Amino acid sequence: MNVLAQAGAPRARAPHPTRREMAANAWRTFRTAARLGFQIEANWTDPLPFLVYAVIKPVFAALILVVMLEIISGGQADPAFRAFIVIGSALWSIVVGGIAGFAQSVLEDRERYRMLKYLYVSPNDLVTILLGRGIWRLAIGAFGGIVTLSLGVVVLGLPFALERIDWALLFMAMAMGIVSIIALGMMLAAVSMQTRQDAWQYPEAVAGAIFLLVGAVFPLVVLPSAVQAVGLLTPLTWWLEGVRKALFPDIVTAIGGAGSLYSGLTGRAAPSSAEILLVLLLTTGLVTLAAVLMYRWSEHRAKAGGLFDLTTGS
Amino acid sequence: MSERSAAPPSPFVSRPTASPADAARWSPRRILITNLRTISGRAYPRVIGMMREPSWLFFEILLPFLTTSAFVFVYRALQAPPEYIGFVVLGGAMTAFWLNVMWLMAAQLYWEKDQGNLELYFTAPMSMMSILLGMAIGGLLMSCFRAAVVLIVGTVLYGVVFSVDQWLLLLLVFLLTLIALYGLGMVLATLFLLWGREAWHLTQLLQEPVYFVSGLNFPVARLGVLGAAAISTIPLAVGLDAMRQLAFAGSVHTDGFLSPEVEALILVVMAVTFVAIARFLLQVIERLARREGRLTMRGS
Repeated sequence: MNVLAQAGAPRARAPHPTRREMAANAWRTFRTAARLGFQIEANWTDPLPFLVYAVIKPVFAALILVVMLEIISGGQADPAFRAFIVIGSALWSIVVGGIAGFAQSVLEDRERYRMLKYLYVSPNDLVTILLGRGIWRLAIGAFGGIVTLSLGVVVLGLPFALERIDWALLFMAMAMGIVSIIALGMMLAAVSMQTRQDAWQYPEAVAGAIFLLVGAVFPLVVLPSAVQAVGLLTPLTWWLEGVRKALFPDIVTAIGGAGSLYSGLTGRAAPSSAEILLVLLLTTGLVTLAAVLMYRWSEHRAKAGGLFDLTTGS
Repeated sequence: MSERSAAPPSPFVSRPTASPADAARWSPRRILITNLRTISGRAYPRVIGMMREPSWLFFEILLPFLTTSAFVFVYRALQAPPEYIGFVVLGGAMTAFWLNVMWLMAAQLYWEKDQGNLELYFTAPMSMMSILLGMAIGGLLMSCFRAAVVLIVGTVLYGVVFSVDQWLLLLLVFLLTLIALYGLGMVLATLFLLWGREAWHLTQLLQEPVYFVSGLNFPVARLGVLGAAAISTIPLAVGLDAMRQLAFAGSVHTDGFLSPEVEALILVVMAVTFVAIARFLLQVIERLARREGRLTMRGS
């Protein structure tokens, strides 16, 4: 029976659903998967421990870097660099949550709940299900990031002024950044379809590796030129730069600076807002395209090799 | 007698016995051999899993090395003294063991329950400690390889200069740290099972906070009271502090909390305590599993 059929008298239907019906079905699938994802993420404990869980990781990740900075500077750290580190660390929790959410949904549904095969054969798009399942981890990461940033402003006295925020840049950079994070998450979901149970740590490992390339907590100029070039091709580098610039206009640039590859190529000290958005758009488009291709290939291979109903407990 | 000799030998009977009670009396040799088999049997899937899927080399060796490198570049951006780069490399190597203890040991009994293996473990005539030891040994191979890569490549690539005066003590501290860490892993494995909560979340909770209080990238003494608390409870903190002092002997930046000898003694106490607590807790969960039959139920 068609899931979209309304209760009541049966009526003749077209053999294929219309676009509107497909959209409605996709939305319902997404909503249901998101609800399930939230319950899996949040129902394991009471609200207070859950909130502690949501913020503890990004807050301590930022603390590690702040203590490193304070030790080396002897407590006389440059406030601009402190802000640079805290924002990078706070935003990174969104990346970790976003990337991990999709990949671990594949692993959980295949290895733990053993539902992936049923989800795959159900009349729903698996990508929509994974998006719904993973979106809450991204949201939890974002919540942790906001709390970390707030603590940075309140406790560490980061120079934050609401009236100086470039809202247009912030909104556009965040929108494209989230798309690129989801694209990276889908790539990793594609990898998880092919790997064994021990792949639980892969998302964090990938996020940790990208952490090096994108100037999250240090300017790219300290990296070798070849690594800087890879960083400049990564959308997250431009996303971080855009959000930093939008929130703290006077902050240190991660991309430019004396001796950086960017400055050597363009002759400018730091990218402008328009430049950041343009490059972010281009790199996000490329990463999204790569994610779609990789996911399709992985899905096809998993289907052909019977990987959806494989449990690899080790 | 003739009937007995005519019957085919059963693979399940090691010796003819007069009664079930007699059959349950095992010689120490048989207990030892069974537990050794258990250890190798539980380590086998981990080791063979590594061989069959080499993707872990990329995801669990190369990528974590890049994460460690990120902290190296933070110190470079701050123009820190070279010893701090060495602290990061050493900390990055030891992270492999902590992650192994948390993911492949502490959370494992909970996951075994989910997979339906736990009830088989409880009913099989073997010690649960052997199961956990098998997991540890299987995972330890991977962790040692990862730690060695981080240490060797990090040292060569970032020009870390170690200055070791007491090699024997350094090796002893390293081994004691591993024993204490895996003892703690066994304790956590039983606690995660007893709490019946999401092991995944608990494991996540014990990562960054432990890295921070253990002084993974900086001397733990800089954290004051918090550092003291970590030194007295977390093997990673005390082991790293001692190894930092021994690996960078004579450096003014190591800033040890206590002398390495005293920290080695703390590790001995921790190792004995954690293994004893683990043994006690494993007996408790085994008793609970058999008496109440709830621990092995899936979907709690």
